Amino acid sequence: MTATSKAEVREPELGRLQVLLYRLGVPLLAVITALALGALAMWASGSDPLVAYKGLLDGSFLKTRAFGETLVASTPYLLLALGVGFGFKCGLFNIGVEGQYYIGQILAVWVAINVKGLPLYVHLPLVILAGMLGGAIWAGIPGFLKVRFGAHEVITTMMLNYVSFNLCDYLVGLKGPMRDPRASVPQSRPILASAQLPRLNELPALMANPLARIVVALLVGLVLYLLFRLVTRYGFKGRLSKLNAGIVAAVSLALAAGAWLLLGNLASFGGAFVDKGSRLHIGFLIALAMSVFMWWLLYKTTFGFEIRTVGANRDAAGYAGINITRNVVMAMAISGSLAGMAGAIEIIGLDRVLKSFFSAGYGFDSIAIALLANSHPLGSIVSALLFGALRNGADLMELRSGVSKQMISVVQALILMFVAAPAVISWLYRIKAPRGEKAASVTSGWGK
Amino acid sequence: MDWSTLLSLAPSILASALRTATPIALAAYSGVLAERAGVVNIAIEGMMLMAAMVGDLAMLYTGSIWVGIFAGLLAAGVLALLHGALSITFKTDQIISGTAINIFAMGVTGFAYKRFLATPELSRPSPSTLQPIEIPLLKDIPVLGDVLFRNRPIVYAMLILTFVIWYALFKTPWGLRVRAVGEHPKAADTMGINVYRTRYISVFLSGLLAGLAGLWFSLEQVGHFDMLMTNGKGFIGLAAMIFGKWNPLGALAAALIFGLPEAVQINLAMSMPNVPYQFMSMIPYILTIIVLTGVVGRAVSPAADGTPYNKG
Repeated sequence: MTATSKAEVREPELGRLQVLLYRLGVPLLAVITALALGALAMWASGSDPLVAYKGLLDGSFLKTRAFGETLVASTPYLLLALGVGFGFKCGLFNIGVEGQYYIGQILAVWVAINVKGLPLYVHLPLVILAGMLGGAIWAGIPGFLKVRFGAHEVITTMMLNYVSFNLCDYLVGLKGPMRDPRASVPQSRPILASAQLPRLNELPALMANPLARIVVALLVGLVLYLLFRLVTRYGFKGRLSKLNAGIVAAVSLALAAGAWLLLGNLASFGGAFVDKGSRLHIGFLIALAMSVFMWWLLYKTTFGFEIRTVGANRDAAGYAGINITRNVVMAMAISGSLAGMAGAIEIIGLDRVLKSFFSAGYGFDSIAIALLANSHPLGSIVSALLFGALRNGADLMELRSGVSKQMISVVQALILMFVAAPAVISWLYRIKAPRGEKAASVTSGWGK
Repeated sequence: MDWSTLLSLAPSILASALRTATPIALAAYSGVLAERAGVVNIAIEGMMLMAAMVGDLAMLYTGSIWVGIFAGLLAAGVLALLHGALSITFKTDQIISGTAINIFAMGVTGFAYKRFLATPELSRPSPSTLQPIEIPLLKDIPVLGDVLFRNRPIVYAMLILTFVIWYALFKTPWGLRVRAVGEHPKAADTMGINVYRTRYISVFLSGLLAGLAGLWFSLEQVGHFDMLMTNGKGFIGLAAMIFGKWNPLGALAAALIFGLPEAVQINLAMSMPNVPYQFMSMIPYILTIIVLTGVVGRAVSPAADGTPYNKG
């Protein structure tokens, strides 16, 4: 991961544009080329790529509920990619997010089942925090082992993956302590109602409660206030910074009041709010908020600067007096906490029971998503949506064209290859890389 | 369960351990060869899957198990060359290249499985697995004969390859060159060794070994390909490589230790209710982490492992 902003600032205006075009162009061309090669493979195996891609598009965006399901599929992707990307920014390769995801699920479900008698707005954050804590511990250990003993995080996180899979299998398996004795398949008891992440179609009923409405409206106001502050401070390079905090607060409060009014009438908006079949939950909003938060943390705080400095050059950071140990362990823990959060949200939003381990392939996919976005938290939104759409549309593609949905993995792998080796794309399309741009390189041998 | 039953089961547990250790050991040798030359190969799992699938496909269409073996090895070798191209020529991060190849192999094998193998129009030859070879005389040695000399070909191949690779790496000029390239490519280059070519050859051989590990699943053990049938054994192989300190002899010992929990589980599943098997399955992974931390003997990787070489 390169320390980009520095080199960029010194370039003349035209150079900056060139760099920007290159940075956006390479991922775009990578996606297009991968899709084209996928089409070629479909055609070669006797299927019609046009039918297949139309099915993919319908299945991910155009059919009823398709877009909602795409958002559902993108939610864990986004959080996991934020985690992987944050590690990359600190020069760490967290290849074990899937294990952290499962530990997050285990802890979240435990809190969601066993902590009784709390209202929704206390229990829900507690459950998510439990998931984050689980992920943070599971990734913090490899971080500590790295700085203390030099054990490479790729191997340690990968090993911990298998430990967590087995742990999950044990907990809900035969004679496992978390297993639901009444269930015929290995799974935990269902989580309490107060720990269920609301689906959009459950919101109108929830918002009938005036207290819940006030809490949510205030939360919306707070988020908007923070967003306004971010935009006015950083977004327009000082032009709007004269707007004082009072006006911003007043606007936010007014919007919160508006939100309060709207929340009462959610049902009249229709769509996913009344659609009983929609599985869309508010996790996607949380994931979006986390992307903005991670962007702020990485690029607008001293902590983020230290993390990026350690990632760019560990020795230089050490000489500059940055505490390497603390930053590496923190970066891993934060990376893992995002993975744990993904696990918690997925389970309290969708299944609502802990099932025995089944690899969803999140570990590898999220690496591809983070790299496609060059580890940028906001870029990850776009690439997570793309991968979520591919995953979600694959079933209809298979149904319509007979091309098995595993073809999507092939396309994803090609995207990853092209993004990781921009030299291939540059060579294919005869683009010259701007000076100072180099391929993602985040690892060295196991021993260091 | 008393000790006499355990003792009577010992030969069959040891035999199962050798069997379950075979793909792990081959995957570990695959890692040893690539990493001794300075190329990290986490795509072993993907190469194994690819070989397992292509081997079955080729057997299905030619009716010959040996053509299947050959085709499977070739397929894994081609994937290895792709890994080589990405990581040696294009200087991609080797872990990312390996990750891409793993996703790619999962996709391609799943695709081919559904398209050609799930409901085959042709029938497989019978038998569709490599048959055990009993070695005359030796097979009659008590205990040892049952464990070592009544095995299937890939198990024998694994045992022989342990010594071949050890000898080649540590006792021949070729091995010295490979290790030089993995430790200090610049110095090796100065001495007139072609770093790129050495790395390509090592990675290709690494692919062939991974291929053999994958073929153990489809053509020696099961008789057909199943989706994701290699089940993470390629990654356990990497762990065995580290545990064995990048040495085939150590890797074999590690693979046997790692294969033991599964072997015990196969043989004693009914009679040991007290220790959940999941905890036994965790042992190899926890051991590997402990070894990496250097508490029990330091594991030191080749110095240039994972770093692309830039000539000039």
